[in-house]
Amino acid sequence: MRLRALRPGASMEAVQRLERRVADVEADLSEVRRHNLRLAEVADVLQELLVPLASRDDAAVQEAVERFRKSL
Amino acid sequence: MRSLTRVRRVDDHGLRLITLVDRPLDVCVDGRRVWTFWTLRDTDAVAGPLRRIGWPAPLLRHLHGRGRITVRDSASSTVHFDQDLSLGSGQGSIEVRNRHGVELGIDKSGKLVPTFAGRSDADIAALLDATEAVIGALQDTGIEPFLAYGTLLGAVREGAVLGHDSDADLGYVSRFTTPIDVARESFHVQRALADQGWRTTRYSGAAFKVLVSQDHATVGLDVFGGFLDRGRLHLMGEIGTEFREEWIFPLGSAELGGRPMPVPAWPEKLLEATYGPGWKVPDPAFRFTTPARTVRELDDWFRGTQPGIRYWERRAPRGRETVLRHPSVLARRAAELATELGAEVLDIGAGRGPDSLWLAQQGLSVKAYDYVPRALEPARLRGDAQGLDLEVRHLNLTEWRSVLAEGALLAHDPRPRVVLARHLLDATSKQGRESLARLCSMALREGGQLLADFHLREDAVDDEDDLDDAEWMVGRIDVDSLTTLLSRSGATRVTVKRLRRRSRPTVRLVGEWSCG
Repeated sequence: MRLRALRPGASMEAVQRLERRVADVEADLSEVRRHNLRLAEVADVLQELLVPLASRDDAAVQEAVERFRKSL
Repeated sequence: MRSLTRVRRVDDHGLRLITLVDRPLDVCVDGRRVWTFWTLRDTDAVAGPLRRIGWPAPLLRHLHGRGRITVRDSASSTVHFDQDLSLGSGQGSIEVRNRHGVELGIDKSGKLVPTFAGRSDADIAALLDATEAVIGALQDTGIEPFLAYGTLLGAVREGAVLGHDSDADLGYVSRFTTPIDVARESFHVQRALADQGWRTTRYSGAAFKVLVSQDHATVGLDVFGGFLDRGRLHLMGEIGTEFREEWIFPLGSAELGGRPMPVPAWPEKLLEATYGPGWKVPDPAFRFTTPARTVRELDDWFRGTQPGIRYWERRAPRGRETVLRHPSVLARRAAELATELGAEVLDIGAGRGPDSLWLAQQGLSVKAYDYVPRALEPARLRGDAQGLDLEVRHLNLTEWRSVLAEGALLAHDPRPRVVLARHLLDATSKQGRESLARLCSMALREGGQLLADFHLREDAVDDEDDLDDAEWMVGRIDVDSLTTLLSRSGATRVTVKRLRRRSRPTVRLVGEWSCG
């Protein structure tokens, strides 16, 4: 959006477009920020739960990792 | 100087006063503060400068009998009203105490709690012991805790805990600079404390509470995580502001009840960031006016893991309340199905557990889950007394760690199961609904069914009185999306039936999982 669209006398429509864009940017930013906690949780699960559990059954781990690798 | 505030009347309805200025006033019963309000902010105009305010509901229940009612300015102590009054039934003397005799007061969130002013010296000493011990335990994990919020204010301004406060607050500024690492560190710190035997409860990705039980009350020590990033301090709770590292580190010391406690290097800077430049003036009714940007940041980074928790905490029984005996229609269906399949029943969002208890009484193996497991305590005790196969477990659908860990345990013990989710999907967030689908995919690998009831929020309903959503309802369920979600999570068949109910539109959903 060009700034001159917001000069005095610019249309209300231009202001509304800008308001919508700000709302969109805020929503996008919020979405990205929310990944922090999810990623922290997954990292915590991996570190605390899956690794020690998995290490007890090596064959099963290898199979799962191989299957996962092939799915990439 | 003449006072600009006059209290005209105090009676069963509350207070009437004349004022032109906004001042914090303490209301005391027999000399002890039980409530504080602001003369303009919290009152309603009657005519001109005449204003009125009603008693807070939790306090009103205690206002029966005779007592000396004093109204004084919180900051200057100027007395505006001081009379012996008879309130309510007028019988006996007014006692604002809990059932153990501990004196109570209205805290800044409007709850009637055991404030420090009503506690004995021994209780305060026990709190300080606990604070020192928790600080030590936190230091052992590698972080540098300090007094924060009201506890820091008490130490710096008065050298003691604030009389109107009810909890102790600790904070720390992480050496990490991103929310993900700050959350991981907070998980680690909580785990270390739990390993040492401390009772803890988490309420966001960067804050948890350590619960310390004293003789007749439980005191909470809040542990707020924070971090500095490019000249900005973010401290869980309320703070997001320009800040310098040297205002925090190296930590200094201030006395709290005669004991040295760690505080930020420049505590005044943190107090100003917390309470504004007026932090030196007492205000027991202080309300945060946290900037919208800070609220958005902290919400997005760390919060959203306890939708509706206050409602459910409030509804949880305090004592050994009787569990309702009548099972729901859905529980009866679950019993038939579980018997037929030889299945275990998972009652998720079990509340007080009437269905769980009844199902266990039918001879079924039952796991009752809730994110407020205290509500299930009476059901658990009764189940134990009756020798039932009823296990009460904590599960928070909005915490992946909780769902994945429980799901892993269930997957490790493969057996047919019936998952009962009565008014669960409408009481949790979209993430909670996704987590339930994930949990089903892990728990129902040997086959079974999900039985769910939930209300729909609909825009057009004939009876306007029934349009209001219940306080506990969260979000809006799109039935088609939910069906797709369950199918993607392994359900081989999903049937949806809309029930005719007089109140809200209700859906009964059955998801079927096949073995293997």
